[in-house]
This record gives sequence, structure tokens and C-alpha cells, in this order.
Amino acid sequence: MPRGRKRFDAGIFISAAIISTLLFASGIFIGYSINNEKLTSIDDNIRKVTRDVQNFQIEFLFLDVLGENATCPLLVETLSGINRDSYEIGNKLESYGSGSEIQDYNDYVNTKREYSRLLIGYWLLANKLKNTCRMDVDTIVYFYSKDCTKCEDQSFVLTYFKKMLNEKILIFALDADLDEPSIQVLKKNYNITEYPSLVINGGVYIGYQSKADLERTLNL
Amino acid sequence: MIYWMVLVNYVAWYVFVFIAVTWMIVLFSNRGRFAEKSVNMPKTLPGVSVLIPAYNEGDSIRKTVNSVLAMDYPKNRLEVIVIDDASGDETGRIAHELEAEGRIKVIVNPKNRGKAYSLNRALKVAKYDIIACIDADSTVEPDILRKMIPPLLENGKVASVTPALKVLKPENLLEKIQHAEYILNIFLRKSLSVIDSIHVTPGVFSIYRKSVLEEIGGFDEKNLTEDMEIALSIQNAGYRIENRLDAISYTICPSKLRNLFDQRIRWYRGALQNTVKYRHMIFRKRYGNLGMFLLPFNFISILAVIIIFTIILWNFADNLLRGIWQMTLIDWNFMVLIDGFILDPKAMIFNMLTTSFVLMALGTVIGGYILLKSFRVSDERFSLNKLGYFTYLFIYPFFMMFFWMTAMVFELLRIRRKW
Repeated sequence: MPRGRKRFDAGIFISAAIISTLLFASGIFIGYSINNEKLTSIDDNIRKVTRDVQNFQIEFLFLDVLGENATCPLLVETLSGINRDSYEIGNKLESYGSGSEIQDYNDYVNTKREYSRLLIGYWLLANKLKNTCRMDVDTIVYFYSKDCTKCEDQSFVLTYFKKMLNEKILIFALDADLDEPSIQVLKKNYNITEYPSLVINGGVYIGYQSKADLERTLNL
Repeated sequence: MIYWMVLVNYVAWYVFVFIAVTWMIVLFSNRGRFAEKSVNMPKTLPGVSVLIPAYNEGDSIRKTVNSVLAMDYPKNRLEVIVIDDASGDETGRIAHELEAEGRIKVIVNPKNRGKAYSLNRALKVAKYDIIACIDADSTVEPDILRKMIPPLLENGKVASVTPALKVLKPENLLEKIQHAEYILNIFLRKSLSVIDSIHVTPGVFSIYRKSVLEEIGGFDEKNLTEDMEIALSIQNAGYRIENRLDAISYTICPSKLRNLFDQRIRWYRGALQNTVKYRHMIFRKRYGNLGMFLLPFNFISILAVIIIFTIILWNFADNLLRGIWQMTLIDWNFMVLIDGFILDPKAMIFNMLTTSFVLMALGTVIGGYILLKSFRVSDERFSLNKLGYFTYLFIYPFFMMFFWMTAMVFELLRIRRKW
């Protein structure tokens, strides 16, 4: 009876371990690079929309020169463009943030802050446009927070209305936990202490607003 | 996903990648071994005793015996012994008819004692030095012995040779899926033989040296899967087990899900029990690749796959429940949402490019590649069983995971079952 040792090809397993580790490392590296790209692309988008908002501000000056009838259509169209782009950014940011692979948290927070500033500027201009050009558009500022049980539901209901009403409704989602002065100022102004809270066309609504509630408020 | 889930997921995937890379290395550095060269038969052919244990196989035993007798092997060097394990049907009658025709011997067990006991009993009276065991519902290609004898005789250290086992005429989808599985196993068994780590000698025409079987005490009569136990016992004794891709035998597989479930629970519980029985081999260099790699990693990989699939299912259920809840919030007006979804490919790609998705895609590609390789090696044509192969690749793993988890649970709870 051969009581000898059985063949053990240690070389195979050591090579396999090395290759596996390399594969894994490169996989993680690729994932990291893709994530960086995602955030960079979001930053680029924000930059573009910020420029659009600046153009928008300048276009407002035309009101004095050319009057409402000539300027309002131009302003409304620019607003739609900003609307689409900023909505897309919001989605990308959210999907990025909800993934488990946020490598550089600081970059992400800074991007969020920049985006929030953009949104607030956009909201202010939209309000001005509403008044000046008598636009039939609803604006909703939506304050959310991290430990808020109903926020996920609120986001979903708002997304529904956005999809349904498209350009007739402008939604500005602000992270109330963010250390961003413009957000904190708004919170104080509207006395926001609970989340979710909505400011719909200037009126404050504390707490979760259901589909029925929103339909009532927006007269749908 | 929660953070510990991510970590566990990564560890499980690493195990998987390690095993897959190991097999790739084995495959690529042993390309030549996967094409069997024709071999010379010795001038005097050795005698072979074919043992056919049978329990209630009345409708197939005649075919099995005919298939064995039709082998391209001199009749005066062949002995066929049928063991009737106290069958209740006409198995006994048919066996005695065949015996009366002068072609086989029949042993009858007065009480049903199981396959291992029947084989051990027949071993005592078998007159030749090479033993072949085949189930009474299986058949063989006529040249099978001629393919399997040379490797057995080539080397005194070889104690057993295993065949390429296929499913006979798969009909319904379940059988076609198992057909794909058996084709994959032919490839895996060959790969195992390359690193001398075969841990199962299928009971459908594996051949053994009688002297070795006697040396290790024959088959374990108290074992759920004696075909795995005997293989590990042979390995434990320091012998080698070989494999021939061109030695083809056919078996019947379960055509109903319930029967498949019973079969797999028995197999997997047996595998767990035998892993425990031979745990002294695990991570011991003297037991070579089998002890250092195959036994432990077979077990670890089962755990890893269970973890991965549980996490996948968990996420799926989580998303499903969330989706349903969200529908209630908007009174099920989902049409409004759909038009946003489908028409935005850029966003979809953006969301999909996560590590998990890439890993899963990679896993599927590797799995598909190995499956394709298996076809080539077994001379099977992919086009003949496309549905079976795809279902096997994408859906069957979930069933297998369920079977493995059930087997583990049953085994841990020591649930007794009569097989």
C-alpha cells in the first residue's frame, strides 16, 4: 500500500492567490476611478448649469430694455432648460449618494453644497419670473434630513408629481443637515424644524404631504 | 447595502475568484490532458466483475444487463453479478430469467440492506481483480471498458478510474437542466483528475482494483453517499483515481422537482457527512491537493455562494417591497413613472456601473466560458440544448443554493430520513 504523500501543487494555489488579489485590487481600483468620474461629471454639469443661471440673471436685465412681452418667452425657455439639467444632476447625485461606494466623502459633500447653492439661486430667480411674467408654475422647496422616516416616501411622491406635471412644477430638494449658510437661512426664515417639510408657492407645510394633500394644495 | 454586508460580500466573491482562477490555471497548464489519446490494450485482457445492485428496478434492469453484456470485451473475461436487494417488484424474477439464460449470476438479499451492503456481499464472491459497479437504471457505451482499463493498469498507484457520465435522453426542462449540469461535471471531474483530487467515483460504471477495495474494508454500509465515501477512502489510503473523458456511461435523472429535491438533499447531506468523516485530511499537506484545496474549498465555496445569493435575494426582496410600498403612495399610477425610466439609457448605465454588477457580470462570463468548454470536451453540441444551458447558468444556481441550505439545516438538526 503506497503510504506516500499525495501530490500538492502549492505553486498553483500561490499563483491563484496572487492573481486573485491583483484582479480584486484592479476591480476595486476601476470601481474607484468610475466613481471619481461620476462625481467629476456631476461637477461639470453643475458648472454648466451655474453658467446658465448666470445667463438667466443677465437676461432679466432685458426686461427693462425690451419689456415683458418680448423678454418673458425667452426667460421661460431658459428656465425650462435649467429645469431639465438641474433635475438630471439631482438624480445623479442621489444615485451616487445612495450607493455604498462613496470614496471621497468630502468631495461629495462639497458637490452637494455647490448644488444646493445653485438650486437656491435658481429658486429665487424662478420666483421672480413667476411674479414678473405671471408664469403658471408651482414651486416647491423640499427640506429633508438624514434621520427622517417619511423623507424617502416624500421624495418618491414629489418625483411622481415632477414626472406628471413636468415643467409646470419646479422642485428644489435641500439637505437640511448640510452645513451651508443659504440653506440654514431659509430654514430659519420658514421656521423649519421637522422633516420632511415643504414650502409650496411660499406657503409652509410641515410634515409629510401625501399625494392627496399635494393635489389639494396645488389645486389639481 | 449595510457596510458589513458589503464586506462579507467582498470576501465571498474573493473566495469565488480564487477558486475560478485556480481552475483556469489548471486548465491552461494542462490543455493536453483534455483530449484523450488512444491507448493500447494489453495483450491479455484482465478479467472484470461487473456488480449491479438493484432495488425495484424491474423496468430497467434488463436494459442495463444487456448494455453491459454488449460491451466490446471478451465474454470469458467478464463476470456480471446482479444483487437483488429484496426488491418488491419483478426485478428478482427478471434477474433469475437472465441467470437462467446463462449470462449472469444473481445474489438475493433476504432483507433490504442498501447498495453498499449489496456491493460488499458481491465483492466477496467476485472472481476477477477488477470490479465495475453500475446502477440498475443505467447503461454504457460498448467501448467503455476498453477506455478505462489502460489507465487502471498503467500504474500501481491507480486504484480507480471514473467515466464521463451523461444523462440518457433528457426530455423535460428539468432533465435538460440536469443534462447541462452533468456535462459540466464531466469537465470538472477531468479537471479534478489532473490535480489528483477526485472525491467521488460515480456509481455508474466506475472501476476499481479489488485488492484495494478489500484493503480499505469495502463500501461503508452506513453512509448516505457511498460513492463519495469510497473515493475519499481510496484517496486516504494514498492511491490515485483517474478519469477518462471518452469512457461514457448514461444514467436516468429525476424528472420531477420533488424527486430532484430528495436526491440532492441526500447527495449534499452525504457530502457534508463525508467531509466531516474525512476532516483529518483538511489542510494537511500529506493529502495533497485534495486535502489542501478541494475538500476545504468545496465547503467554503458553498458557504460563499450561499452568502452571495442570500444577499442578492435580500436586495431583490428589499427593492420589491419598497417598490410595492411606493406604488401605494401614488395610488398605483405607475404609468406616469415608466416613461421616465425606459427612455433614459444614460441614467440607467450610470446607475448600473457598480462593483457588484461588474462582479456579477464577470462571474456570469466565467461561468459561461467554463460551460462552453465543457461542451467542447464532451463532444456535445450547444445548439441542441440551448434552453437547458441558459436556464442552468442563470436560474438553476438559485435552486442549488436552496438545496444546499436545506441540506445544511437538516444535517445540523440531525433530521432522520429513510432513503
